[in-house]
Amino acid sequence: MKNFLTAAALAVALTATAPVFAAEKLTVLLDWFINPDHGPLYVAQERGYFKDAGLEVEFKAPADPNAPPKLVAAGKADLAISYQPQLHIHADRGLPLVRIATLVATPLNSLVVLKDGAIKSIADLKGKKVGFSVGGFEDALLSAMLARHKMTLKDIELINVNFALSPALISGKVDAVIGAFRNFELNQLDLKGRAGKAFYVEEEGVPAYDELIVVANRKDLKRAEMRKFVNAIEAGVQYLVNHPQESWKLFIKGREKLDDELNRRAWRDTLPRFALRPGALDVNRYEAFAAFLKKQGIVKTTPALDTFAVELK
Amino acid sequence: MARLIRPAIIFAGLIALWQIIVWISGAPDYILPGPAKVLTALLEQYDLLAEHAVITFAEIIAGLVIGTILGGGSALVMVMWRPTQRWLMPVLVISQAVPVFALAPILVLWLGYGAASKIAMAVLIIFFPVTAAFYDGLKRTEQGWLDLARVMGATGRTALLRIRLPAAMPAFGSGLRVAAAVAPIGAIVGEWVGSSAGLGYLMLHANARLQIEVMFAALLVLAIFSCILYFSIDAALRRYIRW
Amino acid sequence: MTTLPPNATYIEGARLSYDGEVLFDGVDMNLAEGGWTCLLGKSGVGKSSLLRLIAGLENDARADAMAIAGVAESGGNIAYMAQQDLLMPWLTLAENVAIGERLRGGPKGSGLERARDLLGRVGLAQETNFYPDACSGGMRQRAALARTLLEDRPVVLMDEPFSAVDAITRLELQDLAAEILSGRTVLLVTHDPLEALRLGDRIFVMSGRPAALTQLDPLPPGATPRRIDGDGMAAAQAAILNLIGGING
Repeated sequence: MKNFLTAAALAVALTATAPVFAAEKLTVLLDWFINPDHGPLYVAQERGYFKDAGLEVEFKAPADPNAPPKLVAAGKADLAISYQPQLHIHADRGLPLVRIATLVATPLNSLVVLKDGAIKSIADLKGKKVGFSVGGFEDALLSAMLARHKMTLKDIELINVNFALSPALISGKVDAVIGAFRNFELNQLDLKGRAGKAFYVEEEGVPAYDELIVVANRKDLKRAEMRKFVNAIEAGVQYLVNHPQESWKLFIKGREKLDDELNRRAWRDTLPRFALRPGALDVNRYEAFAAFLKKQGIVKTTPALDTFAVELK
Repeated sequence: MARLIRPAIIFAGLIALWQIIVWISGAPDYILPGPAKVLTALLEQYDLLAEHAVITFAEIIAGLVIGTILGGGSALVMVMWRPTQRWLMPVLVISQAVPVFALAPILVLWLGYGAASKIAMAVLIIFFPVTAAFYDGLKRTEQGWLDLARVMGATGRTALLRIRLPAAMPAFGSGLRVAAAVAPIGAIVGEWVGSSAGLGYLMLHANARLQIEVMFAALLVLAIFSCILYFSIDAALRRYIRW
Repeated sequence: MTTLPPNATYIEGARLSYDGEVLFDGVDMNLAEGGWTCLLGKSGVGKSSLLRLIAGLENDARADAMAIAGVAESGGNIAYMAQQDLLMPWLTLAENVAIGERLRGGPKGSGLERARDLLGRVGLAQETNFYPDACSGGMRQRAALARTLLEDRPVVLMDEPFSAVDAITRLELQDLAAEILSGRTVLLVTHDPLEALRLGDRIFVMSGRPAALTQLDPLPPGATPRRIDGDGMAAAQAAILNLIGGING
């Protein structure tokens, strides 16, 4: 009995003198299941950069890829990993979302065909089937790419294949797929023995953009945690660039299922694409892309950039 | 005219309930738009919705017809040749138990992205309800009639055609009603998994473009069609099967 | 056994058991040729089972039936009428009456002419196109009688056919049945002693377990259908009730 009382007293004492600053919790919704695109996030976590900044970060993978930004806008989560094109659409629709950092600073989207297939150039797509996953802006990308070859979307048949891009291509049910990530699907096809050939959207008439960004709710911008989060990611990218092998080990630490050939190859291909300065914003690039989407009819308005993309102070 | 009043009131009531939910929950437009926005979208995008609706409706009806024929046929086979029942019944149960979402990608890969896979999905969803209900009705024919038939010298075939089949029609009707209610699900899920047209495809597209009111408008069109389908089949059944 | 006329209808050595319990064994019964034989007994004694056995409805694996001899080459010669009218709700009265023809493979419309005639004979000439759900219980049993008549069989087995209607309708149906089935060999199972006494040229009471038959002798005088207030009817009723309840205590 005496031992119990002592233990109880000790416990009370300890909690009474707990640190004044408890860690700030942040829920971050990923855009997809964990994959090498999220490298810096997990490196930052494993290296303790979030903890050092007084942040307790929880990553969640969504069931519906379209949901994370909406949930942040509705106040149900703190941050979401999203796509710059989606951001413009959300801004057009009045969602209170703001980009605070960039994760992947190049497009990853590409038009992919089978290397040994009949399609050798985009002009060959006339009258063919193109598979896509409904993301909202695939037709804009495709439209721009086709325009260079004097074609419109009416010259092809767009088929929603619900993220099963590689199977659709391999089975021959479609002649090409758009929305395939060059670091991921290309490797996937390679591993299945059916090498793919990619047409990179930014080389085919689409203005360059950031594929993966971090978005927050406008009302949260004043929170100190946001800047700290961005700082932590920057530290993560820094470490990743300086220590790529160790970073891979950190990425798969405790997540052994991720250690497969596909992820290893994707990791290698994604490395050069991480934003070296996550917090920085290229105003010109964003405005050019907004104009592009407006021209394509994907958005009706182009709100002032600082309402939906900022560099946090 | 009087017969339309009650459905109209129910419809109006549901719209009101919807608006109340929007007010109370404070849900933003991009999660739950109010009925006014959705009805506006419905009117504005009428031709787009109509174009895709026709495709989905065709898939649903085709699935219903084929599924009913297959289901009815299976029930008859199981009744006429007892051994088939032992083999077919487990298959039936599995067809019902496996979630449609799991089978959809396989069907799409086999049958392509066109209407065939959607029709196959609808058939799959209604196969069990129709077969089970009809089979049950055929098995549970009133013994008195079967006795009478026996004494009168009926053959197995005439007893089946003249007594068991008509007697099982009400049970068949029940199965058909359930089928009418769930067939749309099969078609839509099929479209979600792989398609280039249809209300399901439109819903996905609108959702991704954050045109949520268009998505709900498509949903509304689907709901209305499903109601009309169900009540038409119900009325037809009640007219032709009056016992 | 006394010599019987060559086309006599009789049951010899009937036996029925369910799950090992013997309902009756070694039952002999001579049916009144061209007339009515009535069979009474307490509920559950086995009279309906005996009837079903004769009709050929009891060769279910659970029933262990044996040797019903000599029911005038049964099967093709029997018509059956149950307690429920067994009219099929998806057919009109006329189609119901003609159902036997259809069940034996006849084409559409076979027997309908005769059916309408017979429905007329039982007083349903106006209702030949009615569906059963539009008819009263009495009307439905009359249609069932017409159906039995259309079968045109020498032997008619009836299992409490009039028990589900009211007393007055019952008397009317009894009169009707006696008239239109005259000349046929009828075996009527009933639980109503008065009905048996009205219609029976021969009356048996079934009692005990295993059940045995006792013939009621003598019967009240007069041609069937007898009047309910006729000579000896009351006394005979008492005698029957005694036989039904008495032996089994």
